[in-house]
Amino acid sequence: MPMSSSESATALKRTVIVAIFAAVAVVLSLLEAQIPLVGVGLMPGAKLGFANIMILTCIFFLRGRDAFVLVILKTLLTSFLLGTFSSLLFSLFGSLLSFVVMFLLVKWGGKKFSVIGISIAGGLAHNTGQLFAAAIVFKSTSIFYYLPVLLITGIVTGIVVGYAVRYLVASLSKISLFEEFLG
Amino acid sequence: MKRADVLLISIVLIAALAFIVPRWLSSDKDKAGPDNNLVANITVDGKLYKTVKLTKEEQTIDVRTERGYNILKVHDYGIEMYDADCPDKVCLGFGHITRPKQTIVCLPHRVLVEIAGAGSGEDDIDAYVQ
Repeated sequence: MPMSSSESATALKRTVIVAIFAAVAVVLSLLEAQIPLVGVGLMPGAKLGFANIMILTCIFFLRGRDAFVLVILKTLLTSFLLGTFSSLLFSLFGSLLSFVVMFLLVKWGGKKFSVIGISIAGGLAHNTGQLFAAAIVFKSTSIFYYLPVLLITGIVTGIVVGYAVRYLVASLSKISLFEEFLG
Repeated sequence: MKRADVLLISIVLIAALAFIVPRWLSSDKDKAGPDNNLVANITVDGKLYKTVKLTKEEQTIDVRTERGYNILKVHDYGIEMYDADCPDKVCLGFGHITRPKQTIVCLPHRVLVEIAGAGSGEDDIDAYVQ
């Protein structure tokens, strides 16, 4: 189907935004990987989830399928760069579950939940998804020993990510590139 | 924050604390010590690799698979991951674990170490390996 010039301009903008967001998300993941969380007494493998800032912001501005592409891109790129290819499936499982939960909440729960609640739900879904994936691989449920700790850290990082998204959405809304995507 | 946010946070917090608090209050018999004869079950890829007694004396356990190696050290009635050639080194961060149900996981190598009471050692394997 041929697109009109304004349609193709919009499509191009979407692509550019997804690309920029993916780049920022990867950089955030790389920065985050440099922070030794274990030293602060957190559970090993716990992440701050900064990349979630970009994914949640993308859900707000663009369509679900654009955010989906962003999730896949970000997970693939960080897995390649950080050299943890073997855990790619775990990240993918967690990221996709988190994306689905946040997308549904933005779509249907957007009036009840604020950005902060949605980001918390996404973070919790990410943690739980990864533990489920690990439990399936290990054929053992003993890994759920860490779920309570992960839930609490998930709430804390979810609040931080939520506030970041709130400011980011407010700032980006002033940029002309994002103008036509404002709901 | 809206009301639904606060509700979500409180429900999750209560659920998490409901699991954590009993662990803090758990009696002394769950703690490490010479009388408890704790064992660590090491599984690779869901299959039992080895069961080791947690002793005060130091023991080193080599877990070598086609995915890579993990070196575990038993000492002071606990066990810790000493070295591994996995890319993320997350397993090294679990530290020295001494209580039943505590685990060390190495995702890249599919290695799982879980502490169990002596009673649930080799006889009880079917309970957690499907």
